[in-house]
This record gives sequence, structure tokens and C-alpha cells, in this order.
Amino acid sequence: MTKPILIVGGGPAGLAAAHSLGTVGRPSILIEKEDALGGAPILSGYAKLVPTGEWAKDAIGGMVDRVTGDSNVKVRTGTTVTSFDGTPGNFNVELSNGEKIDAEAAILCSGFTHFDSVNKPEWGFGTYEDVVTTTQVEQMISSGNGVRCPSDGREPKRVAMLLCVGSRDRQIGREWCSKICCTVSSNLAMEIREELPDCHVYIYYMDIRTYGLYETKYYWRSQEEFKVKYIKARIAEVTSDGEKLIVKGEDTLVKRPITIPFDMVVHAIGMDPNVDNPEIASTFGIDLETHGFVGSENKYGAMAATSRPGVFVAGAATGPETIDDSIAQGHAAAMAVLSGMQEPVDKSA
Amino acid sequence: MPIHEKSLIRPENLKTHEHLVIDGVDVSGHWSTFIETRVVSDYNEALEEEIAALPGGEHIHRCWQCGSCTNSCTVNEINADFNPRYWIYLIRVGMESELLRDKDIIWQCVSCNKCTYACPRDVFPEGVMKATAHWLERKGHTPKSPSMHFDEVFTEQIIKTGKIEESRTVRRFFKRTKQGLAQPWMIEMVKRLIKHLPVGMLTRMGLATLVAPKTSDWSRASAAMQEYIEEQHEKQEEALTLAQLVEVAQEDAAA
Repeated sequence: MTKPILIVGGGPAGLAAAHSLGTVGRPSILIEKEDALGGAPILSGYAKLVPTGEWAKDAIGGMVDRVTGDSNVKVRTGTTVTSFDGTPGNFNVELSNGEKIDAEAAILCSGFTHFDSVNKPEWGFGTYEDVVTTTQVEQMISSGNGVRCPSDGREPKRVAMLLCVGSRDRQIGREWCSKICCTVSSNLAMEIREELPDCHVYIYYMDIRTYGLYETKYYWRSQEEFKVKYIKARIAEVTSDGEKLIVKGEDTLVKRPITIPFDMVVHAIGMDPNVDNPEIASTFGIDLETHGFVGSENKYGAMAATSRPGVFVAGAATGPETIDDSIAQGHAAAMAVLSGMQEPVDKSA
Repeated sequence: MPIHEKSLIRPENLKTHEHLVIDGVDVSGHWSTFIETRVVSDYNEALEEEIAALPGGEHIHRCWQCGSCTNSCTVNEINADFNPRYWIYLIRVGMESELLRDKDIIWQCVSCNKCTYACPRDVFPEGVMKATAHWLERKGHTPKSPSMHFDEVFTEQIIKTGKIEESRTVRRFFKRTKQGLAQPWMIEMVKRLIKHLPVGMLTRMGLATLVAPKTSDWSRASAAMQEYIEEQHEKQEEALTLAQLVEVAQEDAAA
């Protein structure tokens, strides 16, 4: 019997990889450390996804159902990999539940960790209740409760969204652009304006990186249809006058300092390397790249390769990644595994 | 002067006490000089909506501050303080006091529309300049400009007669802008008209000046135009919250 492919992580990339392998009849075993599949979009309660606007629970939930209904995929939730030895085509894997598996290859789809805003104390998260993260706003929307100030449940009349929280910031050792936050923020800004038309939304930015086709659908649309206001300023600090949050910074387009009162401040939090990456790296014997994400070698010749032959990687484990690109990479990693296994056969023929 | 060259210290923000003693130390005169804060402490959220309610200002919310309008601007070339990009931003974020600092140059737009063709987002900056100049007038920040007087005289005449009778337009325009008719160029023009125009045409012009002919059956068209203009005007007054201001003033007067 063919040995299964080990897939680590049940988010968009892992689900895509498992589905791809399943469709060509290759068995796989999907390991998820949390108690449910779906990854960040499901576990963090995202609302409507970029770029289709489908609810996360429908779009990613559908991927979960497809995989759990596939007899080629064995799912282990609440489980981690404790040891991983051997050579390509012949890996020995031990799981935290004591299970031992022989695996043909492994695909790491171990994802990312949301930046913890407490690490930027000057922006008030953890100090003021009404300073929240984009993830919390996603949850307010997906729960159906709507966007409300956590302190007293009132509808905000004015919301500030701060971009690049946990991104592009050498002070906290995060030099990367998290790639998704600009688009996510303009998407959420439109959601807020739609739910609360009297609420003004201001986005404080250094640059807007709603790249590619997102330009029209998010950046332009949020301004043209939803009248979201974009202010070029990196905020210095968020304080409070006892009633309102006070956002302090410099409006660089008019060269004027600003201290503007707001009801709610939203941090557009970035994507950190998975906090478990050092452990994952040592378990699987792979290298991490300089920022702490899983290193992905040879981008052109061999898609999804890591520093260890037979171990592949896909999705936000490799760096900040969108959901749709993570899914594409999951499929690509599955293809890389299949063609890698095919190679010795071709050579002998 | 271009914005990046502007001094951050404004003369009116410099404060000096002629006589001041702090803790027994005499700091009179320039020793006590300090600079008042330039901090903007709130946005006027109504400002963008008010400008957008006036003809030409409708697309101001599209602006993403690339500066194509200012770069292509005819007036900016002569006067670097004339900066449409900057004003559009001030309006969008609601920095009203900052906008009012430039109230005396905003009307200088010559409507060449180079900005209109340069703008990648179809903001229609020329329209925004016009809307802003009108906003300044209607809010009472600036007096009516000569071009506004001309527009009014022109429109009134069209509505009344359906025709333009140039000499009447010119006379009324001069009257409203308090200019004398007997200007050297005007006298010269009339002299040459008399000298060069065929007699028939001169007679018709003279008659038109005297009797102010109307387009036949004009009353219905005139009424429709009048109605439309009043409707638009009312809408704008409402958007500009001027109607409410008048009401409040009337109530105050009554009380």
C-alpha cells in the first residue's frame, strides 16, 4: 500500500493540498494542532473574505467539508508532530497522540501568528478597551453583533484604522510588509460604512498596498463609493481624554501635527511567523529564513521546496500570504510532491 | 511658496510679552518669545459634503493626492501658493480654518482645465475649484467675485427674455461691480462700431438696446428654468446648512 503524505496544518493551504492529493487518489494524513480545521479564517472568525466577499465560514468551511468527506484524507485534530526522521519516500513520523506513521513526504502548511498589538503599547491596545484589532472587527462582523465600542457597546461615530501595526517596523524587529492588511482594512472600512453610514472611517497609512486588481475593488471603491478617508500619517500614540481616544501624529501632506478624537481605533495587525516555527524547524530539520518564516528554496525550479528534500511548504508558513495564494500554493505543493515521487520511476523507465 | 518650503513657524503664532517676569527673572521682550501650537485638534466632517453638494465638487472624494492637478496648473506656475491638490486635501479631511487662510486666491483658477485632463481619478479639480470659490462666497467668507456677478447678470437676462443683449449685460455687469461705463477701451470700441458696422446692423442693435426683445412664447421655458434653478439653489442651501442658519437668525430676531 502507498504511504500517505503528511500535511501539517489544516488551514487554506493544508486543505488545498489534501484535496489535491485526494483527487488523484493519493492518501494523506492531515495534522492540525487546534481542535478544528479551517485555519485562521475559521479559528479567528473572519467575516467576508477578500476578494470574493464570501463569508469565511462558507468559503473555507466548504473546503473543510470537502476534505473531511474525502476517504483519502485522514484527519487528526488537536495533534502535533513530535518527531520526524528518515529520508524522502520513507519518513518515520510520531504524533503527540502516540500514533506512528510512515510517510512518503511532508507538506508544512503551518501558517502564521497574528501580530500581538500589546507589543506596540504606544498605540493603546490593552490600555483602552476601544482600541481593537482588525481580527476583532472581523469577529464583530462575523458574529452578527455589528461593530460596537467594546467599552460600552455604543455605535462608533468615528473610527481610525492604523495600518502597518506589526509590519515595516524595525523597532519591534518586523521589517516585512504583511501584504494583506491594506486590503483587509479597506474591506473592513467599507463594511463599517455599510453597517453604520453615519460613522466616518479614517485610515492612517504610510503607503497603500492594495496591489494588483485590489486597487479598484478595495482602495478606489472604498473612497469612491464608501467615502473612506485616507490620511498619510504614521501615528505617534493613542491616548485618551477620558471620553474619547485621542490619536496623535503628523499629517505629512499638510505638515501639521494632529490630535484627533475618535470613538474607536483599529489596529491593522500584521502576520508574524508562527510562534511554533523554531520548534517546527527543529522537529522537521529545516531552515527558517531571516525573518523566522519557513525558508522556501529554489522558487523557480522546484515549487514549495524547503531546505530538506521530501519536506515541502505552502501558504503563510513561508511569509505573509493571502488566502487565495495560500490555496494555490497548497495545490502547487501537492503537485511538487507527486512529481517528486514520479521522478525515480521516470529515470528507471 | 511650495508647501515643502513653507516655514512651519507662522508670524501670527509668535507671541512675545513686552513685560514679563517669571520667578523674579525679567524675560520681557524677545526673551519671552514662544510659538503657539499648530496642532489640528479636530476634523470638520461636513466640509467635504458641502463642497460636493455644489456643481463641480461632486467627485472630490475620489482624490488620492497624487498632485497631478497642481503640477499641471497654469496658475500654480505663476503663484506657487495656488495649490489645488492641497485644498482638495484640506476639504476632504475637513481642515476648514486652514482652507480659509487661502480664501483670497482660490477664486483665481482660470478654468484652463489642464488639471481635468491630468487627473488619473477624474476628480475634476477645475470643478472643485469653482465649487470651492462658490462655497466661500455663499458662506460669506469672500465677497462675490466679478465673474459671479457676470454669471448672475447673464443668467437673469436669459431667464427674462431668452436672449442676450450684449450692451445690457455689459451695463448691468459694470453697475453691479461698481465700474464706470465711460472707460477708454469702451469708448474706443463704440466709436469703431459706429464707424465700421453696416447701418442696418447698427439700427437693429440700437433697437434691441431700446426695446429688449423677447424670444417668442418664452414664458413657459422661462418658468421651467426658474423653477429648476430655485430647486437647485434650495438643495445647495440645505446642504450648506445655510437655510437653517437663516431660520435660526429669524427665530433669534423674533425672540
